[in-house]
Amino acid sequence: MLKLDNLTRRFGDTAAVDRVNLEIAEGQMVGIIGRSGAGKSTLLRLLNRLTDPSEGQILFGNRDIAQLKGRDLRQWRSDCAMIFQQFNLVGRLDVLTNVLTGRLFDLPAWRALAQIYTPAERAFAVQALDRLTMAHTALQRAETLSGGQQQRVAIARALAQEPKILLADEPIASLDPLNAKIVMDALRTINQQDGITVICNLHTLDTARDYCDRIIGMQAGRVVFDGTPAQLTQGMAREIYGAEADQAFNEAATSTSLASGPRARAKEAV
Amino acid sequence: MSDQTADSSVALFERHRAELKASKRTMNLIMLAAFLVCLALSVWISQFYPERLASGIPRIFEYFGTIIPDLRWDTLLDGRTEEGRAVPGSITYWYTDFWVYLELIWETILMAITATLLGTAVAFLLSFPAAANLAPNSWIYWVSRRFLEICRGIPEILLALVFVFMIGIGPLAGVIAIAIHSAGALGKLFAEVNENASSRPVEGITAVGGTWVQKMLYGVVPQVTPNFVSYALLRFEVNVRASSIIGFVGAGGIGQELNRVISFYSDDRVLAVLILVVLTVTIIDLLSERLRLGYIGRENFA
Repeated sequence: MLKLDNLTRRFGDTAAVDRVNLEIAEGQMVGIIGRSGAGKSTLLRLLNRLTDPSEGQILFGNRDIAQLKGRDLRQWRSDCAMIFQQFNLVGRLDVLTNVLTGRLFDLPAWRALAQIYTPAERAFAVQALDRLTMAHTALQRAETLSGGQQQRVAIARALAQEPKILLADEPIASLDPLNAKIVMDALRTINQQDGITVICNLHTLDTARDYCDRIIGMQAGRVVFDGTPAQLTQGMAREIYGAEADQAFNEAATSTSLASGPRARAKEAV
Repeated sequence: MSDQTADSSVALFERHRAELKASKRTMNLIMLAAFLVCLALSVWISQFYPERLASGIPRIFEYFGTIIPDLRWDTLLDGRTEEGRAVPGSITYWYTDFWVYLELIWETILMAITATLLGTAVAFLLSFPAAANLAPNSWIYWVSRRFLEICRGIPEILLALVFVFMIGIGPLAGVIAIAIHSAGALGKLFAEVNENASSRPVEGITAVGGTWVQKMLYGVVPQVTPNFVSYALLRFEVNVRASSIIGFVGAGGIGQELNRVISFYSDDRVLAVLILVVLTVTIIDLLSERLRLGYIGRENFA
């Protein structure tokens, strides 16, 4: 159980995240929606402390994540994997080494320094890649891959961390529709098969509706909606997105809106 | 109506353009005046006057006269006589000490290689704390920046002189002096390369729970290695030149011999050594440039 208590982050005078209170149960797939600048990214980056909170608590079990330092903080980050809009792989390293960096926290310092990995660690990384059908690229440089492939490698790196929580910051915003679907399907599969909590920032409403158990709507740093996709009415969504509503709803205009998510397919099956 | 607004917006643009041009012209004139003042001052202080130059030039040729070897066609390619003497007027006579020179040039190149390796190692280690975007805190950043500044601020020849007094005459003093200067110069360049590295891979390594060292090693080093190699090779070229003069203060290499022949003989031996030095530096420059371009090319198309 992840519990946010009055979590606030200010940049100068503006509160990017403003007194957020949330409880996220283990194994949920949560979509955070909202217009650009609503505080979605900051909220996610607060959770793994890439950004430090100004106020409030992040409780996981009975530990306050907001207070962690040094080795404890690094351990939390290794437990709480993140994938990024721009993938954040090391382009000039091969794909396998990129995935192996997911194991860095558990590696003895000298082995991390000498970049020596055991056959078991390599096997683990290759298996993670194979789950995303990327094992064949293992010895290629990461920068030679397409965006969609890079994001799958980034997910494999996250899997190599054996995380409890997987944060995804706009994972499909730089991808074409087909790759966006592959990536979202992968996140959903990981959520269901491994029981990993997935918290995912999404710009488009349809994707959130199709893939998530729960949707959180943010506006100007505050949580303004928290419920199931069914509870999110058109009027409510319009309020969350404000001026960007038409763009967020218009499937033709947003490259990342997906025609056939699991829910859509479920409907077809019926 | 719309024509009128279009006309007035063009007129407004023309007026702004004229103002900008006028202000640029004034600025250019001020800069030109400042440049001329500086030029006049530097000529006056360095006493770089035409008549001095005119009286000095003949003496340059006089000196060349003393160091030109006395070569004769009939004996040019003669070897040593049976008693082991070189025939005057032959190349063998001119380059009597050829093997001594060659050994010293070999020493010079080795000095440059050692100093470049040492300097690069120190520069590499300090370039991460000395990069504004990577330093763990501002105090470490400040200290490493200042340290690099001191290293490159002192001229090599001065450092060499100090080390000759500290550890004695010989190449070790020269190697240390050049290594320190290289560390300072390369460290600044490396740090600037680091500052241009993308922060995304670094953030990626932060997010998996990596330490600062791991962030540098996995997130930054792969990005900057080609640039580091290129700068280090460039520095090697500079260091070959530096180690060929550093012997003037007794710090090893061919400079020692050059200094000796200039101060004691001032004859054709000076030119003999000079030719070898120029040849060495040119060959090293060409080789290193090929290596550098080859490496960069390979990196770009990999």
